[in-house]
Amino acid sequence: MSLFAFDFMRRALVAAVLVGAAAPAIGTFLVQRRLALMGDGIGHIALTGVALGFLLGTAPVLTAIVVAIAGAVTIELIRERGRTSGDVALALLFYGGIAGGVLLIGLSSAGSSTTLVGYLFGSLSSVQAIDLAVIAGLSVAVVAVVAVFGRELFAVCMDEEVARVSGLPVRFLNILVAVTAAVTVTVAMRVVGLLLVSALMVVPVATAQQLSRSFRATLLGACLVGVLASVGGLVLAFYANVAPGASTVVLALGGFLVAAVIGQAVRRVAGRR
Amino acid sequence: MTTPVFDLRDGAVFLGGRQILHDVGVRVEPGEFVAVLGANGSGKTTLVRTLVGLVPLASGSLEIFGTPLARFRQWPRLGYVPQRLGVGGGVPSTVREVVASGRIGRARRLRRMSRQDHRAIDHALEDVGLSDRAGDPLTTLSGGQQQRVLIARALAGEPEVLVLDEPTAGVDADSQDTLAGALGHLSRAGGSVVLVAHELGPLEELIHRAIVMGGGRVLSDGPPPRPVGEHAAADHVHLHPHEGTPPAELTGLPATTFGTDR
Repeated sequence: MSLFAFDFMRRALVAAVLVGAAAPAIGTFLVQRRLALMGDGIGHIALTGVALGFLLGTAPVLTAIVVAIAGAVTIELIRERGRTSGDVALALLFYGGIAGGVLLIGLSSAGSSTTLVGYLFGSLSSVQAIDLAVIAGLSVAVVAVVAVFGRELFAVCMDEEVARVSGLPVRFLNILVAVTAAVTVTVAMRVVGLLLVSALMVVPVATAQQLSRSFRATLLGACLVGVLASVGGLVLAFYANVAPGASTVVLALGGFLVAAVIGQAVRRVAGRR
Repeated sequence: MTTPVFDLRDGAVFLGGRQILHDVGVRVEPGEFVAVLGANGSGKTTLVRTLVGLVPLASGSLEIFGTPLARFRQWPRLGYVPQRLGVGGGVPSTVREVVASGRIGRARRLRRMSRQDHRAIDHALEDVGLSDRAGDPLTTLSGGQQQRVLIARALAGEPEVLVLDEPTAGVDADSQDTLAGALGHLSRAGGSVVLVAHELGPLEELIHRAIVMGGGRVLSDGPPPRPVGEHAAADHVHLHPHEGTPPAELTGLPATTFGTDR
């Protein structure tokens, strides 16, 4: 039985390629500025957005995008004020997002906590043609942001103060990263799920940097690893009948282990010369 | 009359509710090489961070190249070198990538780096003696070499004034000499330099003026203190009177070379 025989599977595969490339692209900048868990925080917040969609009777993806963007901008502004450290701001998002999601879904008549599970872990059959169009559009937007603002984002993520003295619009760029991350999370939630979307933003980056020396190579390598992991995870999920988010992340982590071992061996050989 | 690079008047700065700078006035002319000296907590780092617009003034005024800070837009004319590598760096970056990011103020969005950009980056790397390490990840460099990368990053933007926060702190002698060489180039080419320092080391000869800070105020502002008279002699040794006998290598010196530091 070929997996291409199913419409939903063909759509899911295209979605996996798009998400697999877009998530690590923006994730590289989050890892660069040591905000690797930001994607996870946004994922939790997006859960509130999904529940809000059920409560209001609108498309959950739309409310998720709006709420995730609002949450990401909030975390950026809290961080900028400097009164709360980045990790505390993230913790507030985590707990607030989960609690808000469960609370709102309880209030709605359309869904229940089990409805949320599909969004938490991703589900293959849920990807509709219209979803695919949305995912494609947003993935293009993410890649465009990285292509257009990549150099400036690198400078800001490296050292915010130096970037400010260079005359860069630092606040705009910070919010751009936050919003792009939020969009990526909501785009990826249909494929890998909200709980594991952050893994697709971070694990491929961690994998690529085991073998790379430069930022550029890390970014491109991470996108490649991301596509391999999400497509591989989807195929695995189809045949083993498991949640695609889980199989994608397990594959990505396996890739990380292999890369770490190879990287260590390469450095040892290089060190001996 | 030339327009000063920095013209800070009656500057007061508060950080976390505490007043750090009191009525500070500092004027830096084009081509000047100014050292900001002072003990820890004297406000010298806050002063230079104020000059580049990173710390807001509670009162007073600041003009950069003759333009009030609020309306100043010619940022590429400024180069700023922080004390340490920033928080970023979770991803490996090559020396060249980091230095190239200093060119950002002069680069255009959606344009590839021009030949002129690449030349400026090459020059900056040469100036700090790291051309041969350009392709190496930043993390494989020593502390002194990383400091040189930060300076090269600022130089890559071809600034008219370079502001450095303790560039010599914890830097090995080799790197200090390279640093002095690079700043000397910039200074001889007509650029201005403002730097915070604990110890001047090889930078001492380059300095035109020293601003000494204490308790958030300017204590003195003028030519750097130079050793005079017999203190300036090459074989002059400072011997601080302490209990006990002086170390063996000093007791053999002729008595006339001894001076007492006051």
